[in-house]
Amino acid sequence: MSSLSPILLRVPKIHLLKDARHFQIIYLGGFLLYGIFALGWQANLAAYFTLISISLFTQFIFLKTHKLSMHGLKSAMITALGLCLLCKSSELWVLGLAAFIAISSKFLIRYKDSHLFNPANIGIIAAILVTGKAWVSPGQWGSDVVLLFMMGAAAFIVLLKVGRIDTSLGFLFSFGGLIFIEQVIYKGWPLDHFFHSMSSGTLLLFTFFMITDPKTTPRAPKARIIWALIIGVFTYILSSWFYTFDAPIWALIIVSPLTVFLNKKYGGKRFHWIKQPSISYNK
Amino acid sequence: MRTIVLTSLFFFAHAIQSFAFCGFYVAKADAKLFNKTSQVIIARDGTQVAITMSSDFEGDVKDFAMVVPVAEVLQRNQIRIAKQSIFDILDAYSGPRLVEYYDANPCQKVYYNKSTAMEFAAAPTEDVEMEMMMEEAKDDGVTILETYTIGEYDILILSAEESSGLERWLTKNGYKIPEKAASVLEPYIKSDMKFFVVKVNLENFQSQGLENLRPIQMTFRSEKFMLPIRLGMANANGDQDMIVYSFSQKGRIESTNYRTLEIPSNLEIPLAIQPKFGLFYKSLFNKAWADAGKNALMLEYAWDLSSRNYVKCDPCVGTPPQYADLREAGVFWVNNQRTAGSNYTGDVFLTRLHVRYNRKTFPQDLMFQITPNRENFQGRYIMRHPAEGDLSCSAGQNYLQTLHDRRVQEVKNLAQLTDWSIAEYQGYIREYDKKMKNGNSPYLQPLPKNKNNGKGGYFFLFGPGSQGPLFWALIVLSLFSIILTGILIRRRQRNFQLS
Repeated sequence: MSSLSPILLRVPKIHLLKDARHFQIIYLGGFLLYGIFALGWQANLAAYFTLISISLFTQFIFLKTHKLSMHGLKSAMITALGLCLLCKSSELWVLGLAAFIAISSKFLIRYKDSHLFNPANIGIIAAILVTGKAWVSPGQWGSDVVLLFMMGAAAFIVLLKVGRIDTSLGFLFSFGGLIFIEQVIYKGWPLDHFFHSMSSGTLLLFTFFMITDPKTTPRAPKARIIWALIIGVFTYILSSWFYTFDAPIWALIIVSPLTVFLNKKYGGKRFHWIKQPSISYNK
Repeated sequence: MRTIVLTSLFFFAHAIQSFAFCGFYVAKADAKLFNKTSQVIIARDGTQVAITMSSDFEGDVKDFAMVVPVAEVLQRNQIRIAKQSIFDILDAYSGPRLVEYYDANPCQKVYYNKSTAMEFAAAPTEDVEMEMMMEEAKDDGVTILETYTIGEYDILILSAEESSGLERWLTKNGYKIPEKAASVLEPYIKSDMKFFVVKVNLENFQSQGLENLRPIQMTFRSEKFMLPIRLGMANANGDQDMIVYSFSQKGRIESTNYRTLEIPSNLEIPLAIQPKFGLFYKSLFNKAWADAGKNALMLEYAWDLSSRNYVKCDPCVGTPPQYADLREAGVFWVNNQRTAGSNYTGDVFLTRLHVRYNRKTFPQDLMFQITPNRENFQGRYIMRHPAEGDLSCSAGQNYLQTLHDRRVQEVKNLAQLTDWSIAEYQGYIREYDKKMKNGNSPYLQPLPKNKNNGKGGYFFLFGPGSQGPLFWALIVLSLFSIILTGILIRRRQRNFQLS
């Protein structure tokens, strides 16, 4: 057995529990498998392959040119999986473009020391606006209770790790609250009508895995809550007044630049996926 | 008393039609196969929409009435009577189909057998003076915005201040409405919607010598792309079926608040299914819907009917809609300039959705979006006739083995797609084994267990619609094992570092 020890010693330090991105990759991958096998999505392996390979490749090139750690590939994997779950197109080049824009936005659209937009978010929006051949299927998850429970539980673990649960709750509070007031209190729909709106898998994926991206959310907890509340209000306005079915992703892209001002006003420490020894990015 | 049909849509199946067609296509399952099936055509481009509703009303026409919530006050020229035949044309064209192929005899060089044509039988008051009505309406907070008589219908467009007033007014005017109707009407009133109330004008109905009520078509603008199904649930028990034919310029439509699934398709099934293909498809649909958790919409057909697309169907079950049919269906954006493949010009994409809804699993009205997805799709089932003649050559013997294996698969497919017993298909599988030369009939393949809920084959864990405990146990177990491995590796590393 002692012969094993050198091998084990040579195993690179695995930050399995330290890096929340590992959890995100496992869970997002799990949701994708659930969608394909349990929800009967028309699994287009070529589409998933395109999204993942273009994302990773783009990230790889930027990491090389910026001389950054290859740990950054994990972030690209999360973005790619996010796109697999949300972005649809019958043409591969559209998906390739979405993945490319998503990743390159992280390196090209920056203010000071961080990127502005959630990569998956801007990737989808760009693909929809530029090509007109991409779409989001908000109905694809159905409202299966088991799935929603799994999603919530998985999200909880990630968010505890990342410390962004305030964002999710802030969003759910403002968006859910407004929807509840409109549907149940004002219009008089029964409660299951409201729950059907809130239990959409796409909405929860957005709530727990997209707006909680620690890199593009404001740094101070107070700022994050304000930010999340604003996204909730925007989402409500877009979905209830303008009948936008994919309102959350549009609300997020509109509100994203606000992060810069909130960071200026409230400050806060920059987030690192893997704990940095003692380098401070704060002024 | 006039019974109100509180619904956007209707009704009851009755007659079963028979068809005769030549070519590869042999049988189809039509919309009338399902009980309480309503049909609706939606043609939408931008915010403009034309909705055509087929009234398959059974019973005395004087009892017919319906209420549809609408987004705006429709003018007379926004309402017309459409031909019932347009539904028949679209149904015939887009219905699920059974196609047949003939195997070539590998022992003969040229083999020809023409496909046979095959006949297939597959298995929803009193007049009141207008002025009086208006007066009464005011008391109940109901405003009669417009009244029209179009064809055999008397149409009122109402707005209401509160649901109890509307309910009172409807009851006073001879409409028998379901008990829980008020609570269902309320959200529509609060959403500032108007009510399109239709009853039959008996004089016109009789003077025109009509036998059945004809479809009503309306055109209006709306940001919202939706079908109000909740109103119809107030007076209906159990499941209702609805076929939605949707035309757009861009591509397929799909629901934004429910799942839209493709119906299982392109599978080979035993030859014996042919005479009961209608029943087969009904059973297939029941199972697919139940497997999907009873809250999904099923895509039955999607096809690019644009003038630039030459292939309007493959195989064709019915004649593809022509210019007049498209205009009849409310497709307002096509021109009647001839092009190479069609007698119209324009981009048209047809989507046929089959919705089975009930109060429990469909808490919201159906919301839709038009996607840029232009992929064609059809519910298509295949039967293959075995080769005839002498099969004693070695290629023929190999063919018999593949035939046997194929038939095992066909029976497996049948068991997966429907809830039918497959016991009677044992003989079908072995039918051609006797032609095997050395008398050694091939080993029997294990048959799938009956009623395995469609989690077919050995991959039942991952079958379509499977959300069984096994699936979940596997997911949870794998997550735990990954985390555990991580902890163990970390501990090991730490221990080694310490020592």
